[in-house]
Amino acid sequence: MTATQLAFFVLAVASTASALGVIIFKNAVHCALSLILTFLFLALFYLQLGALFIAIVQVLIYAGAIMVLFLFVVTMLASETDETELRDHIPWQRWVASILGVVLVGVLSYLLFTGTPVGGSAVTTGANSLSHVVNTQGNTQAFGLALFHGFAFPFEVTSLLIVVAILGAMVLGRKA
Amino acid sequence: MMPLSAYLIMSAILFSIGVVGVLIRRNPLIIFMSIELMLNAVNLSFVAVSSKLDSADGQMFVFLVLTVAAAEVVVGLGIIVSIFRTRRNIDVDEMNTLRG
Amino acid sequence: MTNLSVLVLLMPLLGFVILGLSGRFLPRGAILTIAWGACGLAFFFALISFISMLGTPAANRTADQVLYTWIVSGNFQVSFGQLFDPLSAVMLMIVTGVGFIIHIYSAGYMEHDDGFWRFFCYLNFFIFAMVLLVSADNFLFLLIGWGLVGLASFLLIGFWYHRPAAVAAAQKALVINIIGDFGLMLAIFLIFLNYGVLNYVTNSNSAAGVFNLIKPGSVGSGVSIAIALLLFVACAAKSAQLPLYMWLPDAMEGPTPVSALIHAATMVTAGVYLVARAHPLFELAPISLDIIAAIGGVTALFAATIALFQLDIKRVLAYSTISQLGYMFMAEGAHNYTAGIFHLTTHAYFKALLFLGAGAVIHALSGEQDMRQMGGLRKRLPITFWTFLIAALAISGIPPFAGFWSKDDILGSLLSQATTGNSALFYILWAIGVITAGLTAFYMFRLVFGIFFGGYRGTGYAKRSEEDEDEEDEEDAQHTAGNRLSIHEAPAVMTIPLIILGVLSVIGGLVGSFSLFGDPRYQPLANFLAPLFSDVGAINLAPTIGIGWISTGLSIVAALLGIFVAWRLYGKGFAYKESKNPLYQLLFHKYYVDEALAFVIINPIRWFGGTATSLLEGGTLDGGSRGIAWAFKKLSLGLRRLQSGYVRNYALAILVGVLLIIIYYAVRG
Repeated sequence: MTATQLAFFVLAVASTASALGVIIFKNAVHCALSLILTFLFLALFYLQLGALFIAIVQVLIYAGAIMVLFLFVVTMLASETDETELRDHIPWQRWVASILGVVLVGVLSYLLFTGTPVGGSAVTTGANSLSHVVNTQGNTQAFGLALFHGFAFPFEVTSLLIVVAILGAMVLGRKA
Repeated sequence: MMPLSAYLIMSAILFSIGVVGVLIRRNPLIIFMSIELMLNAVNLSFVAVSSKLDSADGQMFVFLVLTVAAAEVVVGLGIIVSIFRTRRNIDVDEMNTLRG
Repeated sequence: MTNLSVLVLLMPLLGFVILGLSGRFLPRGAILTIAWGACGLAFFFALISFISMLGTPAANRTADQVLYTWIVSGNFQVSFGQLFDPLSAVMLMIVTGVGFIIHIYSAGYMEHDDGFWRFFCYLNFFIFAMVLLVSADNFLFLLIGWGLVGLASFLLIGFWYHRPAAVAAAQKALVINIIGDFGLMLAIFLIFLNYGVLNYVTNSNSAAGVFNLIKPGSVGSGVSIAIALLLFVACAAKSAQLPLYMWLPDAMEGPTPVSALIHAATMVTAGVYLVARAHPLFELAPISLDIIAAIGGVTALFAATIALFQLDIKRVLAYSTISQLGYMFMAEGAHNYTAGIFHLTTHAYFKALLFLGAGAVIHALSGEQDMRQMGGLRKRLPITFWTFLIAALAISGIPPFAGFWSKDDILGSLLSQATTGNSALFYILWAIGVITAGLTAFYMFRLVFGIFFGGYRGTGYAKRSEEDEDEEDEEDAQHTAGNRLSIHEAPAVMTIPLIILGVLSVIGGLVGSFSLFGDPRYQPLANFLAPLFSDVGAINLAPTIGIGWISTGLSIVAALLGIFVAWRLYGKGFAYKESKNPLYQLLFHKYYVDEALAFVIINPIRWFGGTATSLLEGGTLDGGSRGIAWAFKKLSLGLRRLQSGYVRNYALAILVGVLLIIIYYAVRG
């Protein structure tokens, strides 16, 4: 058992536990905190996989911005959420959903193990491969080069998307 | 390095947990959080495959998913808040006037 | 020979059509002119043809005239044609003659009826149908006539259609007659199958008729017996023999002239005519004639026993008709067709007279038919009394009235058939004949004494029999002054027919075979019909004189005995006591035949129909369509549960769908 494997197993268990915590806790704040923990563990996964920039961005954006937003709303609506878990109109859904979730995992794993394996060699080799760029120029530069050379158009569209979201938030936030 | 399938199975597990969470929670905020969990599971599989294939394209996708998730959260929370303002409760089961 | 049978056929048809189309709007006089004219002209043409036939030599007396060729198919031809030979001449004279007399009578009897034009329309139709039947020259034309007289009978029995009893009686008559029609049709099929043609004798359209093709042994004995018996089924239905007699007593619901014409003189004799006409077919299967004689005998006795205790005067006469028809069939069963036809003619006279007399009584009493309400009418209705008495003497077989000669003829041939053929059956039948003659005399004179002797027992309030509550018709209005009944003799238009028939009942027997004396010169009718029956062995046509005297003597003794007993019991008037004797009850209720039929046949059919309706219509058809609606409703209610309104359920549905797709790809590999 190498250090990588050990790290992986620990992270796997921890992230699974915290993910389960998201869906199990009664208190919404606990769920949010659980989710933040999950994001952190995922960031550690990315680190292990060598995507440093993405790991940092994950922590910054997800854990830092999005979850803060969540916590704002959760605490704003906290007073009303106490009684929500009492009357469950469709109690059978709980069990059906759990069983189906297990089935989903099973089927996906089956597909993973019997599907054609992903190509054993790198798609891009030589000077264009990621590891080469990372090794020569650094991680962020590699990310930036890929973003602005291949994905410039999606990048611009994304900024448009953000503008639309801001407009939407402003509209929704107005008084009736 | 772990084999790719390990990361992919991890991603599948996290995704399923997110799906179950959507189905069994009645607080819309927690449902939202479960959706975020699902998106992150997909992000994990993207990054794993990109590392395996030694290409930056996977990480680009993660970047875009991240941004879209952010925008989505903004709008979604705005909707939930405005629903709360009119109805004064946020149980998803209470919104069943479209029943047949 | 002048053969005017076409005109005899067409006159009533014209009368029927004209009255049917326009009778409603015509005044009484016009209706009577058309009706009397049609029937009278028919009788006139029949008379001319008959006289001309008398003038032609005996060998040439058959004329087969084809009116219209109907079906031509290869070698097979069926045509409408009329056969004019001695038998049909006799029948035509009877039908149109007695029919004309009754037409005259009906003018008086139906005077107050609203359906006056309808009555004469139907009456003319009946005459047309009956002429069709007796003058047909092939079996198919006969069948048409057979069915049409059944229809005429139905229309006339149910003439007062507002009365449910009349409608029921008409339906009963029709149903039983249809059984006979069915037998006739089967017989015709068999005849066609075995002989290939349907006309009786050679005519212009076909080389050989059925009767020419008959050779002993040409067809299997089973087939010939079947043909004969099927023909007899038709005769039994039409002539009210056992077991198809039930319709005739109920047919008395019709007006009395109808009872006289159709159910005494003419229509019910169609069976006797058919046996005489188709006698070669019957001779081919002698056992069928034995059966016919036996059934005739049993029916005669059976009906006479029922008639002994009936209270409705028309019912007594109806059962008497059945009994006398039994006599005719007994004669024909003894191979003596001439005697059967002779009794047919004399029976037409005195039975029509009896019915018309009864009608005059009913008319005088404004509709009363129950004998318990009558009595002492001798002084008030003299013409009716004397003619009724003549008819009663005739039917009892008292010489020299008409009935004596024909009944004696029948009994004589039965006895001679018994002695020469050494047949126990015919001994028994002869004994039945003698006993029935005694019974006949008894109940007829019971009727005479009950109606015309003693004191008047009526309450003065004339009502019909108990089962009828409807207020319908006619005769009452001008006969009741206040509450007292004024009983007076019928008008001349009704009494003249009575007198004519009375005269015929006296002298009508003289044309018969004077078989007593065995002298061929005094047998005009037998000689007249002899060419027709030349193929029947002469064995039983005239018994030896000694045997004949025995039979005659015994029958006269039996008749006198019957009259004597009736005079002792009822001579001072009819005091009715209902006896509790079970035998009496059995006879009074007509052997409970109608009740038994209702129990055995009618009720199961009703039950079956009701059950089938509720099962098939209610259960299957209604239930099926309702079931489809129910199924759809349940389906939609079930599907409605999918729309629960909960978002989580919809999300679950999406997950299920996704899983299915993934599993599909996983399985497909």
